[in-house]
Amino acid sequence: MGSRWTWRFLALPGVLWLGVFFLVSFYAVLCVAFGNQDSLSQPVPFWNPLDWNVGYVLEVLRNFWHGDQFLTVSLRTVEFVAIAMALSLLIGYPVAYFAARHSGRWKGLVLVLLIIPFWINYLMRMLAWINLLSPDGWGTRVLHNIGIEQLFLWTGLLSARGGWLDGQPSAVIIAFVYGYVPFLILPLFVALDRIDQRHIEAARDLGASRASAFLRVTLPLSVPGILAGCVLVALPMFGDYYTPDLVSASTKTNLIGNQIDQFTRQGSEKVVGAVLTMLLAIVLLALMFYYLRATRRAGEEAAA
Amino acid sequence: MGHPKDRSGLTRRQLLRRGAGAALAVGGAGVLAGCENTTEPIGASAAGPGGEAGKLVVAKPVGPGGLPLPRPDNAVTWAITPENQPIADGRSIERGPLSVYNYADYLDPATLKKFQKEFGATVKIATYNSADEAIAKLAAGAVAFDVIVGLTGSNIVNLIAQKLLQPLNHSYLANLPKNIWPELQDPFYDRGSRYTVPYVVWMDGIGWRNDKLREDVAGMDVPWDIFWHSQPYRGKVGVLDDKRDALSMPLQRDAMRTGTRPDLNTEDSALIAKAGDDLSQLNGICNVKVTITDYQTLPEGKTVLHHAWSGDLLSGAIYYMPSGVKPDVLSFWGPDQNGVVQNDFLCIGKAAKNPVLAHKFLDFMLNEANAYANFVNYVGYTPPQNAIDAEALIRRGLIPKTLAGAVVRPDQFAANQELLQLTVEGERHWDQAWSKFKAG
Repeated sequence: MGSRWTWRFLALPGVLWLGVFFLVSFYAVLCVAFGNQDSLSQPVPFWNPLDWNVGYVLEVLRNFWHGDQFLTVSLRTVEFVAIAMALSLLIGYPVAYFAARHSGRWKGLVLVLLIIPFWINYLMRMLAWINLLSPDGWGTRVLHNIGIEQLFLWTGLLSARGGWLDGQPSAVIIAFVYGYVPFLILPLFVALDRIDQRHIEAARDLGASRASAFLRVTLPLSVPGILAGCVLVALPMFGDYYTPDLVSASTKTNLIGNQIDQFTRQGSEKVVGAVLTMLLAIVLLALMFYYLRATRRAGEEAAA
Repeated sequence: MGHPKDRSGLTRRQLLRRGAGAALAVGGAGVLAGCENTTEPIGASAAGPGGEAGKLVVAKPVGPGGLPLPRPDNAVTWAITPENQPIADGRSIERGPLSVYNYADYLDPATLKKFQKEFGATVKIATYNSADEAIAKLAAGAVAFDVIVGLTGSNIVNLIAQKLLQPLNHSYLANLPKNIWPELQDPFYDRGSRYTVPYVVWMDGIGWRNDKLREDVAGMDVPWDIFWHSQPYRGKVGVLDDKRDALSMPLQRDAMRTGTRPDLNTEDSALIAKAGDDLSQLNGICNVKVTITDYQTLPEGKTVLHHAWSGDLLSGAIYYMPSGVKPDVLSFWGPDQNGVVQNDFLCIGKAAKNPVLAHKFLDFMLNEANAYANFVNYVGYTPPQNAIDAEALIRRGLIPKTLAGAVVRPDQFAANQELLQLTVEGERHWDQAWSKFKAG
């Protein structure tokens, strides 16, 4: 009895933290989104849900419905995040697989190497890229010398020689992948590391080839890791506005995060910013629920 | 009801409360049924002469709480109220520390050091990133700042409406009449400089790399046209990441082409939308960037043509030239008339703990030598001092000839326009056009 209460008590700080910094602040966003503004263009939150004003929410939804700028940036955001997530997975899976299955006694070192990028502030890493990718930067020269620049020019992903920072969608996606891929590798590493070696041995004993053992045993068992990794990279990418600002600043790479930033920080229509924040949060919550359901199902299947 | 409400909303909610709505309100359907649906801001009703008398005057724009929105043809004298009086003459100076609220890197550290030495008081600086942020924090009243640096005529109605400033006692400000351009001693947004004194002035213009651009931008009939002919510089062209400045640019271009005077404080939604559409053409023409880092990217060559604040080019030339690149590769052009100018002012917080020291600080910054050092050694934005002119700076080798245009002249300041506070409805048109443009 006593110990049960001890555990509940220990959970209290975490619950309070989440309560204050997530639920209360999210409620505040709702109250601004369903509020109004005064004649100083300052938001006036309506704290009582009975008073809520749907005028601004409807205005934003109408904008989406008519295919105006909010739809444009939302679709662009989904496109950028989807591509960046797929690329992260393509790059991250082999790395996590190698680290978990083939690094042997170097596993600890490989893990440390994977975590090292976390030691440097995200903004610093992005600023470093700006210097590397400037027209006469080292990165630009290397990409030119090993032919990647040519490949990008040929596929139309780059519009001019050395023009990585000229406002290219591809540069933003590359920056996303670079910035967030460690978040995908770590949960994937954990998932792959946990797979019982004996399952794979059993598959091989029963006549499965290497490839089919991977496809039919390892891959399905790593699905929870893949999902966790994808969620972990997708969530921050959806709200990111500083990466496109830093490596591009072009209107062609304006994402929903940039619009929210513009309305809440620079514009006078903070209510619109709150509405966009709320809509984005709803979409992300839906994604989270899908993730939770999918992992639970995967867990049940694994148990069965 | 803690907040004032929109009238139409009130009746709907009263209906809900008085009627059978109470039962409905329990469920979600009830919440929806009781919701108002409005985007009309609270308390937006205009003051001023009403009824028959109202027809006898040209309506002036009205801002927060029915206060007038200052315009050059609608100069405003802010009252000094009994509960908010200036400090008395001849008081002794407090010991500080003086707390100053400012943009980052907008005061020369050496000049500050000189002030600290002269008055034996330390100066503590807190920074803000935007005027909006500054006003929100000042209104929250968490910190009682002595001096606020960098706000403009477009913020003054907010500052007065929220009672954030204290009136100035000019007996402490001997340098104001002595050194400052006459028109800024008595600006239309604060007649008699009752609450503010000028700090630095700047204007919007075009910054470019004269070693990378073939065109003689300053020599063009309408120099703004260069942006719409910038295909050869695709990816290396930028406009200022500020809705009012950027959207004003196509407005100026149209006016310059037709030889008319634009209203850069217009609230005409069609005009503003057209400006947004014109700006959007730049997406296809040059994949335009939207940044305020031109002071760095132009010297580094990452951009070669940028819509720019005049001070950016000067600070770029002073600080950001990479080794081997001479500052005279930077050029600046700003319009003689009908363009954008702004005056960032100094003012004293209503709850200032060191009001006398704060007055001394204002007067110190209005001193010719201090303003000059602050300008050429650090800030790059022109103080409106009678004694400072571009020719003198070029002669002394402080700025290259190509940047003479970046030093704002008094006649230029008078013939250009300040971007001023709009009504909420007006702001909304600018926000919408800007959001559309930025979405690409």
